[in-house]
Amino acid sequence: MSSHYEAPIREPLVLGDKSYHDITVDIAKPIEGKANKNWYIAFTISLIAFLWGIGCISYTIGTGIGVWGLNKNIGWAWDITNFVWWVGIGHAGTLISAVLLLFRQRWRMAINRSAEAMTIFAVFQAGLFPLIHMGRPWNGYWVLPIPNQFGSLWVNFNSPLLWDVFAISTYLSVSLVFWWTGLLPDFAMLRDRAVKPFQKKIYALLSFGWSGRAKDWQRFEEVSLVLAGLATPLVLSVHTIVSMDFATSINPGWHSTIFPPYFVAGAIFSGFAMVQTLLGIMRKVTNLENYITRLHVEYMNMVIMLTGGIVAVAYASEFFIAWYTGSPYENFTYMSVGAATGAYGWAFWSLILFNILIPQFLWIRSVRRSFIGSFLISIAINIGMWFERFDIIAIVLSKGHLPSTWTRFEPTFVDVGIFIGTIGFFGVLFLLYARTFPVIAQAEVKSIMKVSGENYKKLRDGNHE
Amino acid sequence: MASNRKYWKSVEELNENSSIVAKLEENEFVSDIATDEFLGDKETLEESSTSRRDFLKYVGFSTAAASLAACEGPVRKSIPYVIKPEEITPGIANYYASTIADGYDFANVLVKTREGRPILIKPNKLANGSTNARVQASVLSLYDSLRLTGPKVNGNAISWSDANGQIKATLAELKNKGEKVVVLTGTLASPSTEKLIANFAAANGNVQHVQYDALSESATLDAFQEVYGTRALPNYDFSDASVIVSIGADFLGDWQGGGFEKSYTAGRQVATGKMSRHIQIESNMSLTGSNADKRIVLKPSEQIFALINLYNAVTGENLPSKATPKDADIKNAAKQLKKAGSKAVVVTGIQDKNAQLIALALNNALASSVMDTAAVKYTRQGNDADVQQLIADMKAGKVGAVISYGANPVYTLANSADFVAGLKKVKLSVAFASSEDETASVAQYALPTPHYLEAWGDVQISAGSYSLTQPTINPLFDTKQFQDCLLDWSGSSEAYYDFLKNSWASDVLNGTSWNQALHDGLFTTKVEELAAKSIDVAAAASALKAETKGGAFELTLFASTAIGDGQQANNPWLQELPDPLTRAAWDNYLTISQADATALGFSNPIQDNGAINGDYANVTVGGTILENVPVLIQPGQAKGSFGLAVGYGKTKAMKSEMQVGVNAYTLAKGLKLVQVASVEKVGGTHKFACEQLQHTIAGRYEILKETSLTSYNDSSLDPKESWNQVTKVSLKHEEVSVNDVDLWDDQDRSIGHHFNLSIDLSDCTGCGACVVACHAENNVPVVGKHEVRVGRDMHWLRIDRYYSSELDATSEERTENVNTTSDSVSDYYNLEVPAENPQVAFQPVMCQHCNHAPCETVCPVAATSHGRQGQNQMAYNRCVGTRYCANNCPYRVRRFNWFKYNENSEFDFNMNDDYGKMVLNPDVVVRSRGVMEKCSFCIQATQQVILNAKKDGRKVAPGEFNDAVACSSACTTGALVFGDVNEEKDEIVEKKADKRMYRLLEAIGTDNNVLYQVKVRNTEEA
Repeated sequence: MSSHYEAPIREPLVLGDKSYHDITVDIAKPIEGKANKNWYIAFTISLIAFLWGIGCISYTIGTGIGVWGLNKNIGWAWDITNFVWWVGIGHAGTLISAVLLLFRQRWRMAINRSAEAMTIFAVFQAGLFPLIHMGRPWNGYWVLPIPNQFGSLWVNFNSPLLWDVFAISTYLSVSLVFWWTGLLPDFAMLRDRAVKPFQKKIYALLSFGWSGRAKDWQRFEEVSLVLAGLATPLVLSVHTIVSMDFATSINPGWHSTIFPPYFVAGAIFSGFAMVQTLLGIMRKVTNLENYITRLHVEYMNMVIMLTGGIVAVAYASEFFIAWYTGSPYENFTYMSVGAATGAYGWAFWSLILFNILIPQFLWIRSVRRSFIGSFLISIAINIGMWFERFDIIAIVLSKGHLPSTWTRFEPTFVDVGIFIGTIGFFGVLFLLYARTFPVIAQAEVKSIMKVSGENYKKLRDGNHE
Repeated sequence: MASNRKYWKSVEELNENSSIVAKLEENEFVSDIATDEFLGDKETLEESSTSRRDFLKYVGFSTAAASLAACEGPVRKSIPYVIKPEEITPGIANYYASTIADGYDFANVLVKTREGRPILIKPNKLANGSTNARVQASVLSLYDSLRLTGPKVNGNAISWSDANGQIKATLAELKNKGEKVVVLTGTLASPSTEKLIANFAAANGNVQHVQYDALSESATLDAFQEVYGTRALPNYDFSDASVIVSIGADFLGDWQGGGFEKSYTAGRQVATGKMSRHIQIESNMSLTGSNADKRIVLKPSEQIFALINLYNAVTGENLPSKATPKDADIKNAAKQLKKAGSKAVVVTGIQDKNAQLIALALNNALASSVMDTAAVKYTRQGNDADVQQLIADMKAGKVGAVISYGANPVYTLANSADFVAGLKKVKLSVAFASSEDETASVAQYALPTPHYLEAWGDVQISAGSYSLTQPTINPLFDTKQFQDCLLDWSGSSEAYYDFLKNSWASDVLNGTSWNQALHDGLFTTKVEELAAKSIDVAAAASALKAETKGGAFELTLFASTAIGDGQQANNPWLQELPDPLTRAAWDNYLTISQADATALGFSNPIQDNGAINGDYANVTVGGTILENVPVLIQPGQAKGSFGLAVGYGKTKAMKSEMQVGVNAYTLAKGLKLVQVASVEKVGGTHKFACEQLQHTIAGRYEILKETSLTSYNDSSLDPKESWNQVTKVSLKHEEVSVNDVDLWDDQDRSIGHHFNLSIDLSDCTGCGACVVACHAENNVPVVGKHEVRVGRDMHWLRIDRYYSSELDATSEERTENVNTTSDSVSDYYNLEVPAENPQVAFQPVMCQHCNHAPCETVCPVAATSHGRQGQNQMAYNRCVGTRYCANNCPYRVRRFNWFKYNENSEFDFNMNDDYGKMVLNPDVVVRSRGVMEKCSFCIQATQQVILNAKKDGRKVAPGEFNDAVACSSACTTGALVFGDVNEEKDEIVEKKADKRMYRLLEAIGTDNNVLYQVKVRNTEEA
């Protein structure tokens, strides 16, 4: 599927003097070798955070949602903020694997595996919140249209929350299948290299009996394309539907037709930022500097700049419309003078700073190509996007239609604990993944080795001289 | 075909000579089974008739029984009737007419009982009764688990016969010595009890009856007695008034026993085109002041001169006085009074005989027909001089016995230490009390009295109107009525019931039926107007001028709407009822003006969790320091004045959660509620439990529409274009009303019942009776101070309060004055800050039962859906608790069960104890944790009405629904009207067509079934 020629002025995507075997060794090393101290430290911290989160969730379910900081006028805050944040993070995976595949972007090959893994793990976290934010989560299955014995009870297809159920579950299943399909040849590689019988057995199972025949490869390519076609609309649909939780409501600040495209852009923005954060760490820890290069970082930063720009324009238009309507009900939406000067001014300005101002540094090429620079900016965007969702939810709900209902929200330790717990859970999953899964789609990278590998390019370019 | 095959059991059978095989042919087992060893000796075994089969049966049965016992459900104690009482049918409510007279609140009520338990108080409309929040909540005080359960002597339990015997012996001893016996009571207003006390006095020699009110009207009684010769309070029929000037009289609150709200709003029915003009001169922001058309803010000492100045301006006399800062306004008021002539009235709450004399003289000068000296009121009888004399006598050892009833002087007296010291010197001290309160715990004998719902009694609320109290439940505890004891101690063997019946037959009924009077709850006779003597106003005025000193800061103590005088302070419904003005619950606090707060360094910062904090102050009155009083800034508080509610800070017989606030009675020196005070800021932060943080309407004027009477009466104005403007939208490039645009396909709602609720903002005084009624009817949980503080109150019905700047302008002009679309930051800020002396508006908000409900579409499990009769219904069992419906409700009326509020020791209120649970309405489910709840339009009550009509084979009568629904039936002023819009004779049809009608947030297009009527103020200045 890859073309066999790449212009000499293009930077190579694989650095160093690598042979196919070198790639295999590089990718298999973290799995076959022993984990270093840093891994254990990171894993312990993540596990503790995860357990703490489980404790907080148990406390919530055992005692009641009252252990959170919510009140009669602010029925959602950190729960749905975290939900939307995690779903948003999950967006980069599909975009990279599906959309970039269709557009034949070769640079995706170094990052798609981890981006997809991140997607799936993030959707796990996201899916947790709609369940535990329920007052009676043990009845959570009532949101599924299961034929039942409760009488004629059925779900309400008018409700955006129900749409969420379908959107998230579809997204998770398609992403999982897509991810696994890509993993098959790599699992087979690990199976073939494994020396311990148990490991061999496991990887044999995981690789679904991949044999490496031409027919396997042909089917693999076909399935990848079909799944990419299926997954591409999901990139748009999932966050569109999430945005409809707000857009179809009647709260000033939520009831906004701009939300679907704006949320999708925001999700890709935050998803790429998270990929940037994770790979920034991973390429160092697992010595994959030759595969995840400055060029990859720069390309991702460009996507961030584009989607960040869309988001900034959306903010501006929300701010403008709130003012332009002249409606007193729009005075205190999350993008308004009222919000900027009110009790949640700090949250408003955090959003502006982290999401609009800081990413502007990416216009500078050296920053865009700097590992540390993009790592820091990606952290800022992660924070900024969290604030975006918090602002939309908490600021809007804190100033509803009737001034008598105006109030504020303060998280309790349980709110914070659950959020930290999901970060821990995510970390646990990602760290386990990094030790057991091939973190780079080596089979695909090998396919571009001779086109975009540094040594091969040198050889080829040398011939021209 | 039979088989001849032989089956081998073992290889052993091959061996033909095997002994084992031979044995096995005879026996089942090779060797004997050692049954002897475990079955014991054969003899006993043979004696037993238990066979092996029986044994297996027993095993099976006991296993089944054990496993069944393990999954046994919770035990519910219920005892069926052996002989069913004739009048009680399970599931059918009974109603009894009765009367509450607890010395503070007086009202003719209808008691709803279910299965012999009173569960709801309604106004007795047959007796023209009205209820306030405290009367509504009184049913829960019946089930107070901290009530006194039996008689006690010096803290130890004693039997009634022993107690009565000992007391009788002591009384006889005292009689022989000729020592004085004092019967100290609150206001009784009970003709039979007064007769009984007279009999007791006759039997026991030197007996004095002292009446004592914690919130005394002694000055008014003294003044009235001097002029009219009777110790009573003048009555007022405000429905007849065209100008009302009130100087410090909170007549919509508890002033002179209250009960004026009905006639007040009757005189302000805008539909008639006329409404009284109400001018209020006061220092605290009272409920009355908040309803006034014009509110003039003066310190208490200035109010006295305002009264004299008003008198001078009306009569043209020149009594000695002083100038006040608002003399121009007072002259203006005088002009309006004079113009109104006999339709004018002046009332005052100044606790001074001379001031009351001037007020009486002023009304007489106006020849006011509003003041009624015929049907005079007996709702306050306390005599301050007698009380002070009693304390002095007790301390001097001149009193032999004190028998107190219906009063808690140890708690409510400022000089309670003197009282306690005096009581120690008395030979016999007896306290009749419902709980072991402050007085009962220092008296020798603490005798439990029944709650009024368990007792007989009679009350004369005003002259000529006699009411009866009847028991609606058997006494819960070992209680005896004060009257029964008194009969016993007077040597009579008659029961109080017989005494009451006989005394009514001889004194009241005049030959008419006792049963009818008991059924109605009220019996009325004609009364004559009293003749007035002349009043020496000049002397009164000069005395006032000489006495009135005033001070830099003056404190006015008052009774709060919720807690009143404090006798029901252990009632969680009342504690949870927010003050109508500050909207703070579970507290009393020093109210202070913004200017004084800034000067003295007090502030009320809003916390991040949406709660208000405050500073503490030490309040000093004449050497007495009340420590750590929380301070709350109150718009409309007069500069240099403070307000503080009494009734809090009680600690005896109170659940720990209910022990809130400070006891302000300690500052009411000499039973005077106005004191010169000084205030000093002290350290610490107080946590308030306020239900509303935002004071103003922030430029969203269509939420609460107001207009002036002039605009309302101006026929040239089209209401829809002027004072009741409807939001316009563009449809096909034409401006149309939002109500003409609809995305929804509407159903035909003209068949069957379709319920609407109309709320008249002009008639709503903000009293809160509906809020408590809703609690009682719908088992709404109480959540406690902390949860209210963090914004988790469960009120299905709340009364929003908004302050607006005082502009004698119509709302449309006001909208133009404030540029809401401006982007200037200071404008945003200004919109949120209430004015120094704001106008106040109340807006009851409950579920609006939108026909196009935003909550219904967003619920993923369809737990909330629309009823055929217009209700937005909530299926609790289906709710999974996503709270999306609450977020999408523009009215924010949905309430979430954050915790389990019943049978949970963390929420130790009425739903956590066996007595308190008896008040629960069996027709309404108690909600579980994690589900959403909200107003249901009392669907259990409307369905009951429909079923009753169906059973009777008739149509539902107009007004029947209105009287069934908790809030509208509790509303004294008729502000809430509930009914069926498909029944053309129903009042609601008229309300729906009224030109004042609008819907809350109409522009959203939710098509509410709750209607509001524009608030009208009479801004005409003479």
